[in-house]
Amino acid sequence: MKCLLIASESAEILFHWTDQEFQQNVQEKYRSSQEEGEGLPAFEDIISTLFAPIIISCGTMVYRQGDSYTSFTTENNHIYVLCQFDECLYIAVNGDGEEKEDDLRRKLYVMRKITEVMFGMVTLSGSLLRKELRPQDTEQRVRLWKHLQSLLDTYNYLRENDQSFLVEAVERLIHPTLCEQCIEFLERRLVQQINSSSQVERAGEEVLHTFILVHTKLLAFYSSRTASTLNTSDLLTLIIMAQNMYPSNVELDEPSPEDAESTSGSGPESFYTPEPSPSSRDSSSSAEQPARGSTPVFEFVDPDIQMAEDSLHTLEISPPDPSTPRRVFLELKDGQLPMVPHSMYCLPLWPGITLVLLTKVPNIQLTRSVYSFLEDFTKLEKCLNEGQAGSGAARGQLNMHNTRSKLDKFIRDLGPNELQCVQLLNVWTEFKNRAFTRGGSGFNKDLIPLCKSMKTQLCSLYRQRFLTESGSADGPRCLSPALQERAQTMVQEKLMDWKDFLLVKSKRNITMVSYLEEFPGLVHFIWVDRSSGQIIAPSLSITERTTSELGKGPVAHYIKSKVWGLVRTTRQYLRKGYSTVTLRDGDFYFCYFLWFENENGYRLEAGDIPILPDDSLPIGMLGYDYYRKLLRYYGKNHQGEAVKCYELLTVHLGVIPTEIILQHCRQLASKLWEPSRNPLL
Amino acid sequence: MAELTLPDSRRCQYFFLYDGSKVRGEGDPTRQGICYFYPEETPSDKQDLLCSQLAGVGRCVSELSSSRVSTLRLRRCKFAIRMKDDFFWALGCSVDTPTVSVCELLDQLIDLFCFYNGPVRTSYEVNSQETLAARWTCFLSHLLPGHSPLTYIFSCLRTMDSTNVDPLLLLKAALILQACQRCPLVLAGCILFKGRVVSTQLSPELTMKVMVHESETYNKAQRTNGTSPPGSFGCAVSSTGVFLTPPELQHLQSPPVNKDSSSHSTPQKDAPPKRTRLSRTLSDTPSSESEPSDPSSSHSPLKLSFSPHLSELDSVFSPAPTQSGSPTCSPPPPPPPPSSQRRNSHEAQEESLDESCYYSFHDSAGGDSQGESFAFKANPRLNGGDGSEFDFSGPSANKTMSGDNEVCCRSTKGHMTEVKRLTPPPQTFGSNEKSSLIPMTLYLHRVNSLVLVLLVEPHFFSDTASKEEVYHSSLASLNGLEAHLRTISPAAPEPPGQYLFAHYDCIQNTLATNVSGRAVGAPEHPFVRATSLLHSHFCGTETLQEAIIRSAGTAVYGTRSVAQETFFQQLGGPPRNSGIPNHQDSAFSLPSKARHRLLKHGVNLL
Repeated sequence: MKCLLIASESAEILFHWTDQEFQQNVQEKYRSSQEEGEGLPAFEDIISTLFAPIIISCGTMVYRQGDSYTSFTTENNHIYVLCQFDECLYIAVNGDGEEKEDDLRRKLYVMRKITEVMFGMVTLSGSLLRKELRPQDTEQRVRLWKHLQSLLDTYNYLRENDQSFLVEAVERLIHPTLCEQCIEFLERRLVQQINSSSQVERAGEEVLHTFILVHTKLLAFYSSRTASTLNTSDLLTLIIMAQNMYPSNVELDEPSPEDAESTSGSGPESFYTPEPSPSSRDSSSSAEQPARGSTPVFEFVDPDIQMAEDSLHTLEISPPDPSTPRRVFLELKDGQLPMVPHSMYCLPLWPGITLVLLTKVPNIQLTRSVYSFLEDFTKLEKCLNEGQAGSGAARGQLNMHNTRSKLDKFIRDLGPNELQCVQLLNVWTEFKNRAFTRGGSGFNKDLIPLCKSMKTQLCSLYRQRFLTESGSADGPRCLSPALQERAQTMVQEKLMDWKDFLLVKSKRNITMVSYLEEFPGLVHFIWVDRSSGQIIAPSLSITERTTSELGKGPVAHYIKSKVWGLVRTTRQYLRKGYSTVTLRDGDFYFCYFLWFENENGYRLEAGDIPILPDDSLPIGMLGYDYYRKLLRYYGKNHQGEAVKCYELLTVHLGVIPTEIILQHCRQLASKLWEPSRNPLL
Repeated sequence: MAELTLPDSRRCQYFFLYDGSKVRGEGDPTRQGICYFYPEETPSDKQDLLCSQLAGVGRCVSELSSSRVSTLRLRRCKFAIRMKDDFFWALGCSVDTPTVSVCELLDQLIDLFCFYNGPVRTSYEVNSQETLAARWTCFLSHLLPGHSPLTYIFSCLRTMDSTNVDPLLLLKAALILQACQRCPLVLAGCILFKGRVVSTQLSPELTMKVMVHESETYNKAQRTNGTSPPGSFGCAVSSTGVFLTPPELQHLQSPPVNKDSSSHSTPQKDAPPKRTRLSRTLSDTPSSESEPSDPSSSHSPLKLSFSPHLSELDSVFSPAPTQSGSPTCSPPPPPPPPSSQRRNSHEAQEESLDESCYYSFHDSAGGDSQGESFAFKANPRLNGGDGSEFDFSGPSANKTMSGDNEVCCRSTKGHMTEVKRLTPPPQTFGSNEKSSLIPMTLYLHRVNSLVLVLLVEPHFFSDTASKEEVYHSSLASLNGLEAHLRTISPAAPEPPGQYLFAHYDCIQNTLATNVSGRAVGAPEHPFVRATSLLHSHFCGTETLQEAIIRSAGTAVYGTRSVAQETFFQQLGGPPRNSGIPNHQDSAFSLPSKARHRLLKHGVNLL
């Protein structure tokens, strides 16, 4: 019983994702309220009808009470979580008890993050995002929604099964020698070769980052010297996208030769749908199996819809060219410049092992200008709303005259030929007439609609430049297929001998056995370096076929559920400012610590951690980077010092004396500190 | 109560009752559906907005999930929601109040209303909205007092500090209650002193409800003209009609073995030897000299009770006898209005019953005959249940008792059988007979600050003999008890700067703490916040036994067992820590410190 939907202010459904159970439930509900003999309308319409009162009431409350709903619960433990992002309302529902309120809010933030990575600054304009999320063309819409739905499925699966997505940090394969070799190879051979190939072949693009994924774990990551760092939030999102394109079948211990054959080369882009039966593993599109055996995302009962569904299959026969990169919008310079367009190339090496290239696209400086103009207009709009734009202070702060000259130059440089530029110019001229000329109204509230439409025009220019690839006459601009293939082969050759090792290693990256002698009674631990977004934790993969160290069956599942629950609990305490938590729960003793260090490993005193309301941003790094904010907040008192933030979570047997447990925690923290000194990025 | 402080209005932001049945059509104004809105000075358009939006969204979500909405959260306010039939209650508190506590508070509020007013629908048909609004306000002010910020987390009874009171006094109080129960018309009761429980035979929930009336009458008396002259029968004793839910009644009537290991609550079951000892104890008590303790009554005067509070809410709404109980005793409530057309004959019959009840109550000189006739009149209505579980052979032997210590047990077997059968007959109320509310009466006997509260059968007041027996048998003992309790000096306040603790007994619903209500100031705030978080966590995780949480400045230790939760914080300087895992950290010594420090408060954590 799960559902997620995005709605516009006018209660139009911009996107929805539901599981089978929810869908059936809603359809039955609708049917019972309907008169005899009437056919069931499309699912989208049903869901729109049923949710409309909530969406409209939400708008009313914001408008009249200045407050908005954040959650509902019912007596049968259904949870509804609502988040307003700009002009869109995101709603997540759970009725099966598998997700808590925090999980749902996190999911909404992840959904928001995915749209940001996919659509960039277009998300800043409600009307444009609406068009983007809900294309007029039905086929296009179904295709996009399927893609988004499968991304959500992938995320759900990873959050429930992968520790790195549980705590939202990246896990590396611990093999320093190989890791170092690979980084060197990526730098000296791969990136150099691509970037030095002819301008035509690489279509003006330049590889900035490249990394090799083994399932969800990072084998090697290399950034070129000119690139700014890739933040954890973006990297995790890219891993979700790569996983979605080439899902690793966790049920397979080792890939069989057929699998390797069918997916090597350019695997077809698949809008993967989880299959109901766990046996299907025919091709790369067979996808991973959500462990709970959830049903396919789209399975319509209604025959009319089934037809629409069938027509979809024809769509899937001709998937987009696999060599076409995905356009992704990533943050640069620690958030100062958000949503800069990049191209992402996902090159499958073998099932479970993927090479990812991130390239800089031409005309990137346009992003910077558009973003700064957007900021200016947003500020102006805010001032106008507060009715203080007329004051001298506000004027000085806004400096619209400066903006004016910059924008004039910007439009001149664009060249007046394109339709988009003409529209921008028209709105800008009108704005100038109103704001700056004598006969105009000057800076008052009447200017607000023009501010809005300037923002829309800017976003739409950005959209046209970076999102609609087909706009340019000379076809899709990207690294040539030959170049991509060469890159793929190079890395394949390099890793040929390591392939099998890597696949096994990714499942047994760190084993608990190696810690048991030193830490008797320790059941599990998770260590996270929040400054670099890395996690170190013993493997905890429980699948039907493989046996983890905890064995399989109830004990392993129980411990896994405890670990998942513990992370959830400690986040609640952290949200309220508690950085140390110890819990005696059943037969276990849990510890959680968050602390700060400087670069040399000297421990800094604990500072106050901001206290946040329950329904505030999720604590993590994926949908929203809480820890970056935390580091900034803490760093204010430690100017000129690089502050690091660490977390340690341990699970001990309850019979171990508390003093010993705490001693373990201390030793473990210093022991784990060392390997993390290897630079990740 | 003199100690009663004004509710912290910021904690409870809104409370309203909205009747959806009044707003059906498109054109119906929202205003019509608003039965009560707190704070009453809220602009009416804001009242309309909140009621219509919340009720609308509530209904929509309920339909989607096929289940009633229980909580609804806004960014700045957290609402507990109850929906039943067309009624919609919402209680909005600040977001840092634990959700469980907000929900509990709302349930208590609704229960309280129904306890004194009967079913909501009928009481709104019978009474004017203004009258009932005054009652909601009154109940709200009782549930939201600012004794201590902890009362928002634990809804608990205020009890005498047992470490400060001679246990013999508590024993004496328990014995007075037992003695009163000899009268078959008395179900159970409690003794209160200055708004605190001295001894109770009722479940914590019922005790809480009963206390509201007591403090209300006391306040009123204080306002009008000081103290009532002791000894005069009329003024010291008052009564009011109340309503019990079937589970509550069942619990009160059930044989003691099922509720408690001891059997002190129903003397009828006990053998005569014990009774004689009881009466001797009562006559001896003024000297307060210790007596070899009676094994059956020497333990805690607050008896354990596991009363099932399931379906209490359900019971509230079914059609049931209309009786308008008043939370205040004087002036006596006017007779109910003449039965109108829509009432059926049963209800009309009840009304005449009520009237007779009122008359007999006021006419305290009224002879036995009236009481008897009333009992017979009540028979057709009250009969029909399975009252066979009661053994009345014991009380009939009590007639030999006499004098001040005489306990009321005047009864014949036949009479008893009639009145003890209380389950409403199925034919009267159709399918809902199980969930209807049962009218009862509250008997209050005040001696200065001491109050004896008894739940009695409705016709107790018409039964002059019973009434006088109960009154006279308890009067001397109450006076004695009051004299002793009055002399107890309040416990010396803990010297500040040592530690803070809160010890919550989930079974008895009591809280022992040294967090004062006065200073909602700096040192106690972090403790309250941590306690609130830990309490929510304990409520949500059954397997959790203990926890230490620590922020930069505070470390709080919480531990719980099946019956209690204890929270402890060491004060005085921030705990030395650098945030890193360190076993020398002072936070980790909290459990042992708590164990030692709390022993003197009677809290055993070993």
